[in-house]
Amino acid sequence: MKKVSIDPITRLEGHGKIEIFVDDNGEVANVYFQIPELRGFERFCVGRPVEELARITPRICGVCPEAHHMAAAKAIDACYGAEPTRTGKMLREILYNAFSAGDHTTHFFVLAAPDFVVGPMADPAERNILGVVAKVGPELGGEVIKMRAWSHELIEIIGGRSVHPVSTVPGGVSKPLNDEEAARVREIADYQVEFAQVAIKVFNDVVLANSAYVDLIMSDMYAHKTYYMGMVDENNHINVYDGDIRVVDPDGKEFVKFAPKDYLDHITERVEPYSYLVYPYLTGVGWKGFVDGKDSGVYRAAPLARVNAADGMATPLAQAEYERMFETLGGKPVHATLATHWARLVELLYMAERTQQLANDPDVTSPDIHSQPTGITGEGVGVVEAPRGTLYHHYKTDDKGIVTACNLIVGTTNNNAAISMSLKKAAQGLIKPGGEITEGLLNEVEMAFRAYDPCFGCATHTLFGEMPLEVAVRDRNSGEVLNTVKRFV
Amino acid sequence: MTGRTLVLGMGNPILSDDGFGLVVIEKLREQEIPDGVHVTGSEVAGLRLLELMRGHDKVVIVDALCSGSRSPGDIVRFSGDDFKGGHRYMAAHSLGIRTVLDLGEKLGYDMPSEVVAYAVEAADVETFAEELSPPVAAAVDEVIDLVRREIGG
Repeated sequence: MKKVSIDPITRLEGHGKIEIFVDDNGEVANVYFQIPELRGFERFCVGRPVEELARITPRICGVCPEAHHMAAAKAIDACYGAEPTRTGKMLREILYNAFSAGDHTTHFFVLAAPDFVVGPMADPAERNILGVVAKVGPELGGEVIKMRAWSHELIEIIGGRSVHPVSTVPGGVSKPLNDEEAARVREIADYQVEFAQVAIKVFNDVVLANSAYVDLIMSDMYAHKTYYMGMVDENNHINVYDGDIRVVDPDGKEFVKFAPKDYLDHITERVEPYSYLVYPYLTGVGWKGFVDGKDSGVYRAAPLARVNAADGMATPLAQAEYERMFETLGGKPVHATLATHWARLVELLYMAERTQQLANDPDVTSPDIHSQPTGITGEGVGVVEAPRGTLYHHYKTDDKGIVTACNLIVGTTNNNAAISMSLKKAAQGLIKPGGEITEGLLNEVEMAFRAYDPCFGCATHTLFGEMPLEVAVRDRNSGEVLNTVKRFV
Repeated sequence: MTGRTLVLGMGNPILSDDGFGLVVIEKLREQEIPDGVHVTGSEVAGLRLLELMRGHDKVVIVDALCSGSRSPGDIVRFSGDDFKGGHRYMAAHSLGIRTVLDLGEKLGYDMPSEVVAYAVEAADVETFAEELSPPVAAAVDEVIDLVRREIGG
C-alpha cells in the first residue's frame, strides 16, 4: 500500500488523530492512530542526578504519577545496587497497591460504568459519571469519592504527599510508620476490601444480570487472540509492585518468563515509517504485522492481560472472583477486550486484600526502612504493573550517578499494536463502500480506545470540551481525504 | 468577599507552557494575599478538582490553553455559561469543570457558586522543558493583576 507521510508539524493540535485508508472498493485497508508527541524527554533527563527521575517521571503522566514514581525508584535502586530492606519494600508495596486500587476505582466508575450502567446506546448527555450516580444513587457515588480520598490519604501517610510521593530513597523509604499511622493504614485497607466487594456487586447486579451487556462484552468486535504480558510472583500470581514478567501465548500457555533487567532480550520496539509511535513486540516470536495469532509477536498488557498471564491471585477473595470470572466467560485465556473491566475489579479486590495483608505484618512499623547504597552500578531497570500495563524504566548513568540515557515503555505503549488492530476491526465493521462515516462510527471507535484506557491524558490538555479526536477517511492510493469527523472545540 | 476563595493554578511544570498556571500561583504566593483567599496548585485534574473546589464559594483557575485560534500569550477569561459544553465523559481523568460542579452538587457537597478561569494561549505544551516560552512568560504579571482584581486585592 502507498506510504503516506504525516507532516509532523501540522497534525498536532493537542488531539488524537485516527486515519482510515480505504481501497478502490471502498473497503477499509488500514487504520493508523496518532497522539500528540511529547518531545525531548531524554534530553530533559540527561545530565541530571538519577534520583531526580523519581520526581521528574511522575510528571509525564497526570494519570498514574505513582506508577512512574515506583518504577523510577526501582530503577534507581538498581543504579545504586541497593536492595530494599523487607520493611522498605513493604511500605512501598502498600503505597503502590493503595494507589492502584484508587485508580482502578476511578476508572471503573467514571469511564467503564457509564457505558455499562447507563448503557452504550444512551444519550451522551447521560452516559457519564452523572448518569451513573443518577442510576446507582448518590450514596454509592459518595463511596467512590471516599475510596479515592482514603487512598490518597494512605499515599500521603507513607509517601509524604498524596499525588507525587517523595519518600522513596535508593534502597527503601525515608520515613518509618508509627503505631498510630499503621492503625490508620489498616483501617483504610479494611475499608478498601469492603468497597471492592461493593464494586463487584454493582457489576453483578447491573452488568452481568443484563444479557445485552454480556453480549457486548463477549462480542467479537473487540476480541483479539494475542499474547498476554503481566508481572507475577514466584507462584505465578499477579503482583503489581515486584516480580518477573510472564508472557503467555494466545492459548494461555507460558511462552517466556524473564527478569525485569532482561527486558531488552525479549521485547523489540518497532518503528513504522509513518509514525513516531513505537510498537513493541515479542522478539522471540517476531513481527508479522498488525495481526492476531500465535505467529504474531503482538502482545497486550493491562488488567485482562495480567489475569490471563497469571495462574491466579495471591489473596483469597480475589482468587475466588478470578475463578468465577473465567468460569463465566468460558475459560482461560479470555480474548474479549471489554472483559478487561471485570478483570480490573478482580485486581481491585486483590490490591485491597494485599494492602490489608501487608499492613497487618508486624514488620510494618520496623525502623529498618532502607539499606545503604555503597556504589554506583551505572545502569538500572525498574518495572511495575501500572494500571494500564507493564511499565518499564531503564536508566544509564556515569560513575557519579548522572543520567546519560533513559528509556521508558509506558503501560499503553505495550498495547499500541493491539489498539491499532481494534480500531481497524471497528472501522471495518462500520465503514461500507461509499466512504460515509457516521456518529455511530465515532462512538464505536471511541469504545475501542476506551477499552484500553490509554494514557493519553497528559497529552490532551484543553480547558473544556470533549476528548479531542479527529477521524479522517482517505483514499489508500492517493491519500486524498474523503471525509472527516472532528470532535473537539 | 465571603472569605472562602480559592485561586487554583493548574498545569504540568515540565511541559513548557503547560506550567503557566503553576508559575502564576508561585509568584502570587510571594506577594500579599487577602484574608480568606487560599492559593494552591494542582498538577492533576479530573476528580481531584472536586476535592479541591469543595468548601469554597469562589474559585479562580489559572491554566494554559491550546485553542489554535489565538496568538501565544493572549489571555482569555471564562466563567459561568462558558463551561456549559464541558461534560467530558470519555476521559476518566480529565473531567470538565461543569461535570465536576454538577457531580459535587448531586453528591451534596459544598460546591462553589462562582468559577472563573483565566487561560493563556500556549505556544508549546509538548516539549519537555521547565521554562515558559517568551510570549507566555510575558503574560504572567498581567494574569496576576487580573486574578487580584477577581479576589478583591
